[in-house]
Amino acid sequence: MKQEARSKEQEKVMVFNLPSSFLNLPSRALLTLLLLTTLSYALTQDLDREVFNISRQLRCPVCVAESVADSGAEVSVEMRNIVQAQLEEGKSEAEILAYFQARYGDWILLEPPKRGFHLLVWILPLAAGLIGLVVLGFLFKRWTRASRQPIEVDDADLRRVREALEQSR
Amino acid sequence: MTRVLSVVAVVAALVGLFLFGLLRGSPDRDISSNMLGKVVPSFELPLYERYQTSYGPSFNLADFDGQPRVVNFWASWCGPCYEEAPELEATYRAYQDDVLFIGVQTQDKGKLAEGRDFINQFDLTFPNVIDDNSAVSIDYGVFGVPETFFIHADGTLAYKHVGPVSTEVLETQIKALLQ
Amino acid sequence: MFDPSLSQLGTTSVFLALGLSLYAIVAGVLGAVRRDARLQTSARYAAVAVFLAMTTAIALLEVALLTDDFSVKYVAEHSRLASPTWVKIVTLWSALEGSVMLWGWLLTAYTALIAITSPNNVLRPWALVVLQTVQIFFIGVVASVANPFVFVASPVLDGAGPNPLLQNHWMMAIHPVLLYLGYVGLSVPFAFAMAALITRRPGTEWMTQTRLWTLTGWGFLSAGIIAGGWWSYEVLGWGGYWAWDPVENVSFMPWLTATAFIHSVQVQERRRMLKSWNVLLIITTFALSILGTFLIRSGVISSVHSFGDGPVGPIFLAFFGVVTVISFGLVAWRWDQVRDNAELDAVLSREGSFLAGNVLMLALTFAILLGTLFPLIVDSISGDKVTVGAPFFNQISVPVWLLIFLLMGIGPLMPWRKAKEQSLLRNLAWMLGGGVLAAGAAYLFGIRRVYPLLTIAVSAYNLVSLGLLIAGAVVPRARLSGRSVASVFKQYAFESKRRFGSMIVHFGVIVIALGVMASSAYRVDEQISIPYGESVTFQGYELRAIGQFMEARRGDGSLIDMQTQTTANRAELNRVSAGSEVELWRNGRQVTTLRPRINTFGDSRPVVTPSVLYRFEHDIYLSIVGEFAAGQNFTALRAVQSPLVSWIWVGGLIMVLGTAYALSPNYRRARVTREAEGVLKA
Repeated sequence: MKQEARSKEQEKVMVFNLPSSFLNLPSRALLTLLLLTTLSYALTQDLDREVFNISRQLRCPVCVAESVADSGAEVSVEMRNIVQAQLEEGKSEAEILAYFQARYGDWILLEPPKRGFHLLVWILPLAAGLIGLVVLGFLFKRWTRASRQPIEVDDADLRRVREALEQSR
Repeated sequence: MTRVLSVVAVVAALVGLFLFGLLRGSPDRDISSNMLGKVVPSFELPLYERYQTSYGPSFNLADFDGQPRVVNFWASWCGPCYEEAPELEATYRAYQDDVLFIGVQTQDKGKLAEGRDFINQFDLTFPNVIDDNSAVSIDYGVFGVPETFFIHADGTLAYKHVGPVSTEVLETQIKALLQ
Repeated sequence: MFDPSLSQLGTTSVFLALGLSLYAIVAGVLGAVRRDARLQTSARYAAVAVFLAMTTAIALLEVALLTDDFSVKYVAEHSRLASPTWVKIVTLWSALEGSVMLWGWLLTAYTALIAITSPNNVLRPWALVVLQTVQIFFIGVVASVANPFVFVASPVLDGAGPNPLLQNHWMMAIHPVLLYLGYVGLSVPFAFAMAALITRRPGTEWMTQTRLWTLTGWGFLSAGIIAGGWWSYEVLGWGGYWAWDPVENVSFMPWLTATAFIHSVQVQERRRMLKSWNVLLIITTFALSILGTFLIRSGVISSVHSFGDGPVGPIFLAFFGVVTVISFGLVAWRWDQVRDNAELDAVLSREGSFLAGNVLMLALTFAILLGTLFPLIVDSISGDKVTVGAPFFNQISVPVWLLIFLLMGIGPLMPWRKAKEQSLLRNLAWMLGGGVLAAGAAYLFGIRRVYPLLTIAVSAYNLVSLGLLIAGAVVPRARLSGRSVASVFKQYAFESKRRFGSMIVHFGVIVIALGVMASSAYRVDEQISIPYGESVTFQGYELRAIGQFMEARRGDGSLIDMQTQTTANRAELNRVSAGSEVELWRNGRQVTTLRPRINTFGDSRPVVTPSVLYRFEHDIYLSIVGEFAAGQNFTALRAVQSPLVSWIWVGGLIMVLGTAYALSPNYRRARVTREAEGVLKA
């Protein structure tokens, strides 16, 4: 199923149409930078730090693999504005995350929700670490016991060694 | 020998997983909507000039409650949107007495000239609105364009189609809406 | 106009390398099995010949790039007339075909070096066969589906140029090469381990022979990963350096297992234990590096870095499957020879701490692998789509790293076999005391969060440990010999290069840990709009937006004067930059001028390029966000302050220097050895 998701870089600036036949430099440069017909030079909204902390937990829907905090895509910019607006309304971090989760599903969260099958991604590494340490402890016991075993020496061997020592003196 | 076999088994499982990954293509955004069966958010957005005589300066989705609606999100830079536009227009002309189509230009900030060109190129007779800051597409959980939402008369979401929509899909879904 | 000879020569070189590689494998196997010295020598010559053939291919591709020969497909697709020379050179590895060829070439270089310098023993022929087999895969991919030398009969007048992100910064010249040198370097111990399994000698020879190669490969991999982080920081515009992106994870995992490996081989060298563990570790490291290259080039897992598609994905997957089955299968088959009768005198010993550290690193590797593959696993089972991103990996890895750092402090202080309880407790007391003191001081300073406090405590604990190590080595000698501490220290540093080098590396790790802690926990991001001519305060600095600037540059770096020269030759125009000039003031004096900008290379999409002020205690990082238009009367910026982030790059440099020092030859020991040999002969 084809769909086009805009790459993050394309999102960063809106205006770059460079017809390759057009070589006049100032016009070309101007075209590359020209904001088009929307003449409302609204200031890009100032954002609090808290916005970035929350946006860092959300995944940009149109980017390949970036958080909303990091991405420059239009959609990410708007999502950050929405987070800011909701913070000003007094919503909590959980409520804001739930707002986006209701619309995009679990995928939008950069951390899988801790329920159901997804718990495995949290539990399995912990289990692996614990099992590893337990196995290690078990092996330690076995290995230290092995080293404490006295080496069995035959009486006949002992006598032969003693005789050899006497001879070499 | 069992050890060797278990090695083969584990590697086969891993390779199988990756084969699945290779075969599923580019999957990430083929996610069914979280809003199926729920009432979709309403919106009020400015219309392109050619629709303003019929609908006024802006379009409010809630004004058309009681009628089945099809909301199609598109952008001027989106290739597949150009593929589906003629099919949307043709299907709309066939069903325009029963179903209202609404086109929403989104993730396309400031590109009004391009949007106008797009509409004129396909002579789209159904209303098209401008979602300049992409807020409505976020409200609908739109991942990319094009995506098409099929809405019951009572405002609940029947089906979301990801990617360009074909006449077959449109007809099937519209018939479902009209039942 | 374009003649196909370069294309044909290039393809011929690659096929020649392929054929010679095949011969080297056949001759090598026969020579090893029949113990035929002539065949083995022939295989070694073939290894050198393969290297020469691949060098020719690489050189030809560089010539094509530098002469703008657009009849060569790779040049047409990835190079551009107006690019500066250095960009043309690095375009060799900026896309799939070239990067596979680069990996193959580096592998042939290492293999040729092994063929020439490796001591003549039972392992060498088999190790060469294994290396040639891996090599033939990469060369085969280049020869078949990823041939850069395909001849384009009607060439374009100008190419598209590489991905703009890959020409935006000089680090492109360094990071991929370092990373590949790391991966390829670690293939050498893998090859010798396989040779040891094949020849049923899974003892210590294969490790001691490859010690230098292992450490070199590890050093390059460490440098490559840190260089990649710095490159992300300088280029991508979001103010961070590590996003736990799948491709980043995939380079980090073999680094973790390789780090575990370089520690556990010491246990095998000293105590003849852990044979099976070491073999498994190095195979895992190699398998992870192949898995990594598969994931990057197949697009199976979405990542900002992934490139390449088409038939390459399944081919790399098949290679991964074959490598994993054969190597792990061989271990399983020879298990009875490989398993140890291990003996440990005490848990509290250096062996014990190395083993515990190994377990932690492996657990972390497993966690990262699971997290990276989890979305794929969930999709395959239930079709649900889920994301596992930075928050997950951060939560998992920080506690594990803190535990690893605890071991890193106490491990080197413990003797082999058994730690004496009294000295262990005394050392621990000093170290824990230092840690508590540092944490207390930090608390008084205003640091209240748990992880930063723990990191500071653990760092101080490690610094005390390093001090104790040095004191323990130097002070008794000074006392016994009556010399000054300084001269004893100098002698110690020169003679125990391996040990002292490892201390430097551990010190570098601590510096990095502090940098990572501060820049993650105390980072400040803001989005600010500043009207030109006005200023805004940010974290104690005054940001004065002066105005917009725009410049166009040629490939040689010279500016095109846009006032006088109104038309630009497409073949000349390398880069158009447009951005904001922002002055940074502090305490009434100007600190610097930053110029965050947007770069466009030819017809490429524009890339946001940040501008950074580097300071010891923090960085101020500005990048353009949102709309940017000519004539706009304001500038919208993302401003980031990251405390101590440059410590990460400095720490990385310290690690590399420490590794180089540990590898450097010990001249005095060599001289003493020669003197001793002279005495024996006399």
